[in-house]
Amino acid sequence: MAELIQLTVTGITVGMVYGLIALGFVLVWKSSGVANLALGEIVLICSWFTYAMLVQAHMPVWIGIPLVIAFALGLGWIAERLVLRPLIAQPILALITATLGFAFFLRGLVVFMWPWSVDALPRLFPIEPVHIGPAVVSQEYLWAAGISLILFGCLQGFFRYHRMGIAMRATADDQMAVQACGIPVTTIFSRSWMFACVVSAVGGILMSSIGGITNGLIETGLKSFSVVILGGLESFVGCIVAGPVIGLAENVGGFYLAPYVWAGVKDIVPFVIIIIVLFVRPYGIFGEERIERI
Amino acid sequence: MTLPCGTPNYTYEQDMAIVRTRLQWVLVVLLFVALAAIPLFSSRYVLSIVNIIGITLIAATGLNILTGYCGQLSIGHAGFIAVGAYTSAILTGRLELPFLVGLLGAGAVAGAIGLVFGIPSLRVRGFYLAISTIAAQFIIIWVINHWTDLTGGFLGMRVPYASIFGFVFDTEGKMYYLITGITVLCVFFAKNIARTRLGRAFIAIRDNDLAAQVMGINLFYYKLLAFFIGCFLAGIAGSLTAHLNGFINTENFPLSDSILYIGMIIIGGLGTALGPILGVIFIRLLEVLVTNLTPALQSAFPFLPSGFTTGIAPMLFGLAIILFLIFEPRGLAHRWALFKAAYRLWPFSY
Repeated sequence: MAELIQLTVTGITVGMVYGLIALGFVLVWKSSGVANLALGEIVLICSWFTYAMLVQAHMPVWIGIPLVIAFALGLGWIAERLVLRPLIAQPILALITATLGFAFFLRGLVVFMWPWSVDALPRLFPIEPVHIGPAVVSQEYLWAAGISLILFGCLQGFFRYHRMGIAMRATADDQMAVQACGIPVTTIFSRSWMFACVVSAVGGILMSSIGGITNGLIETGLKSFSVVILGGLESFVGCIVAGPVIGLAENVGGFYLAPYVWAGVKDIVPFVIIIIVLFVRPYGIFGEERIERI
Repeated sequence: MTLPCGTPNYTYEQDMAIVRTRLQWVLVVLLFVALAAIPLFSSRYVLSIVNIIGITLIAATGLNILTGYCGQLSIGHAGFIAVGAYTSAILTGRLELPFLVGLLGAGAVAGAIGLVFGIPSLRVRGFYLAISTIAAQFIIIWVINHWTDLTGGFLGMRVPYASIFGFVFDTEGKMYYLITGITVLCVFFAKNIARTRLGRAFIAIRDNDLAAQVMGINLFYYKLLAFFIGCFLAGIAGSLTAHLNGFINTENFPLSDSILYIGMIIIGGLGTALGPILGVIFIRLLEVLVTNLTPALQSAFPFLPSGFTTGIAPMLFGLAIILFLIFEPRGLAHRWALFKAAYRLWPFSY
């Protein structure tokens, strides 16, 4: 029983972080229709940058983290301005492969700067375990979930009430009409990439403060695609709901399935979910079902 | 762009000929002589590079049929190559079947696995398909790593030398002839597929699959056939990799390779017969250049960080993919066509 509670809490909280990273994908997809497959690498490089700030440059957290946010903003701006702006209105194949090229570049950059490829971040959160009933849960997970929820809330509010957020939603709906209304579409694209990178950076910091910085963070980014697919590409709510579902499936499902299949089944549960969802309901739980026309 | 203006064809044979003029015949014969002569005067190192280029070319040709002609993006190609490699290794090593059975078996099994992961392509496209093939890559590698009884798991497995009717391919030079022979066959096969009913159906699906369906093209059949052919060639490439290396491990087939294959056919030119050849040679030679040049640079400029040697290659590949997409999305093949036209029309190019 204690095991189940522990796995459930871990699953839900890790899932929250997946959902947060997935949010970064949905942001870009909604506003500019670009599928950002470099998500995992963005998470990775932001985590390493955090390491550079906090460990290598010995900065206190309250300076280091804002610098990481600034770095993420810059990264998003560069990605949009230099890689994707020249490819506006190209077929989706070109857009996807451009982000793959960008991913490759970032991966090289990470090896270039930090060749030892595994390290730990300093503790950002208190580590005393919390007792929930009979289970013992590491406090970091709860912090991660809390921060993810707060960010969800902020973004939700931003999209509902802020001028820019409303403009972004409008752009997602119809780029041409928005341009005609005098909203600069390219600015919107740029902003959405910057936001997406910040969200991924926060996700990366949360993940790596719990599990250390490894190349596994790239897989974390890829796992959050299963959140996107399950929740639906166009839906923020989808991320919040599907994130914990994936986290639960990975942790609880992985744990109880392990005796029946091979050990380590946890690692591929999200990918199996992707395949199942694509077979059964390709547009996800909250996504829009596209009606095809010629 | 395919034929110069004013080239008459009086018979069907003329119309279908790939090699058209006497000069082209001479060049083709010279090419084959050169291909046959490479092992005679090149070192083991050069030969190993040429072998890798040949194998990569088979895989890239398969991907070009799937992605370039049929428009179905696959980012799990290295996974399908792994399936081929392990199938061949198991058939020849564990079951001691002849190499040719292993080779064709590798293609067939990889093709069959490709069919399974290609089924979502009937309902989804673009990003969804990219994700499902990435998932395929992870699931395949995971299964290989954990099915220890059959595949040796994380430790990998040994593969015997290839042998056909008692002739054993036990050196780089002998493997070279095997690989080159199969590569030439595959490229010829791909070139011809593109001009048949099949290839035209693929192109119609790539350009607009709904319109193709309305015209009477059976999407279910043709999309899955594209997956089968693409993954079949991947399997062949995998089998050759296994027998060339003599030892395989899942680390030979990472996700980054899958991305690199996409990069190769983009750089070469999607949906052309020449594209994969140019793209593969470009990327592999860049790789060779980087591995040979970076240690020297590293020692010449000691201020470079220690990750320079390993990190610079992916950075350059990523940059190459992005730059080609932005500045020459039709790839090197298009450049070559432009060059030929300019050469033919010189000096009155208008």
